[in-house]
Amino acid sequence: MLQFSNVYKRYPEGGDALAGISFRLKPGEMAFLTGHSGAGKSTLLRLIPLIERPTRGQITVGGRNLARLGNRDIPHLRRQLGLIFQDFRLLYDRTVYDNVALPLVIAGFGPAEIGRRVRAALDKVDLLSKEKRYPRGLSGGEQQRVGIARAIVHKPPLILADEPTGNLDPALSEEIMLLFRELNQVGVTVLIASHDLGLISRLGSRVLELNQGRLEPEH
Amino acid sequence: MARNRRLQSPARSLANRLLRRFGNLPLVQRIQNYVFMHVHLFVASLGRICRTPIASAMTVLVIAIALTLPASFHTLVDNLGRAAGNLEATNHISIFLKPDAVNEVGSRIARKLAEHPQVKEARLVTKEEGLQEFRRYSGFGEALRLLDFNPLPAVVAVTPKDSLTRPEDVDRLIEELKGIDQADLVQMDSDWMHKLAAILSIARRTVGMLDLLLALAVLLIVSNTIRLELHAREEEIAITKLMGATDGFVRRPFLYTGFWYGLGGGLLAWILMSILILLLDGPVSRLAELYGGGFELEFLDGGKSLPLILAAAGLGIAGAWGVVDYHLRRMAPT
Repeated sequence: MLQFSNVYKRYPEGGDALAGISFRLKPGEMAFLTGHSGAGKSTLLRLIPLIERPTRGQITVGGRNLARLGNRDIPHLRRQLGLIFQDFRLLYDRTVYDNVALPLVIAGFGPAEIGRRVRAALDKVDLLSKEKRYPRGLSGGEQQRVGIARAIVHKPPLILADEPTGNLDPALSEEIMLLFRELNQVGVTVLIASHDLGLISRLGSRVLELNQGRLEPEH
Repeated sequence: MARNRRLQSPARSLANRLLRRFGNLPLVQRIQNYVFMHVHLFVASLGRICRTPIASAMTVLVIAIALTLPASFHTLVDNLGRAAGNLEATNHISIFLKPDAVNEVGSRIARKLAEHPQVKEARLVTKEEGLQEFRRYSGFGEALRLLDFNPLPAVVAVTPKDSLTRPEDVDRLIEELKGIDQADLVQMDSDWMHKLAAILSIARRTVGMLDLLLALAVLLIVSNTIRLELHAREEEIAITKLMGATDGFVRRPFLYTGFWYGLGGGLLAWILMSILILLLDGPVSRLAELYGGGFELEFLDGGKSLPLILAAAGLGIAGAWGVVDYHLRRMAPT
């Protein structure tokens, strides 16, 4: 599903953010990406939707070599991904429903199909009763669940989450992580960047540990 | 063979793009969705403008003023042109005969001139008729009563054919009439008309340049308004792009916004013009009466209002397109 082969990312202002990263996620696999802040977790995740391009090395997503994609192909690549952010990145002047509908509107779905899928996604994150609310009126955990509903509404095969529980308390964090595991159980490939080591060890998934831009050997 | 491939590949890449965009939805559904999206944006963009009524109204008003300026100059020049045309069409040439020429001589000249190929009508105004008219209109009737003879000459009033429009031809006819034996003075006030024609042509050219300048102004007003809105919606744009929005998707709502601003400005300009013309209509017809009447101020009719409003809407779209494209290029590819 996702493969990194000897990927480097160097910023002109300072050093290698990523150096020689190689790993592979099989379809339906779930993995955590850990490491101290500044270890390169976010950088690694930014390379997959081509928010940035690697300096060297090859990345394939669903068998497609990202180096071969031009800037015009980026939107279509991103529609195959579900992105989840630490700060949720919701549209605060739109309702929960409209936020979740966004990827479908972008992909050009009709209103009937959008309604069906948005409600299914909201049901999945248990927010069906709050579809008409605005994100500001929701708790942090609820906001992140809106973010998750938005990331799964178009049924992407690969979900990427960057510190999804970074702004949440432990109980909510566990709830969100269990939600990811549920998604994974229906066949979605999931890659989560997190430094919540206690929670990660309890979930028992594969762990990729970054240290100063390099992957530690997996045990 | 190689040529064939070149011809094929853009079509194929378009087909691929469409396929990727719409996946494998049935064609009818795809078209439906596309139409729905545009109708939605059409209404939603208007709604967004109405949510900030004062700021939006000011933008529309500034656009309207920028458009009213050239539109009113156009109206002015067009009407002046028409007024000049009216005068030209009703122009007479007066042949004042020598004082000692009797009415019979005048009527002979009039009959002869009536057959001239460039003359539509030639009529004799006898000495007596002239005196009566003079008494009636000049206010010097009492003074004339003191004279024991009629000092006015017989006059032959010549109306050139309508086909005689070129000033050179008119001049040639006048030269010819001056050659008539008994003619004392041949008069036609065509000099000032030449000057008017020259002034009008300068005015038309000036208005043309003004059009360009003020179109540019409208473009800038719309761009600036849209730029502010882009700024306010930066996060939203970033998020939609992360969700896989194309540049076209991001651009579209702003194009509709630009369209509404332009359309609103165009309509308001049209209303301002109507008010302007209503206010001027009274004084102008009074002025026209003094010059013999028959002139009405012409308003921007359908043939001119529609282009004005459409051009305004077009400028709105163009202004939006320019600034959104600039913004998107700057933030590419994220």
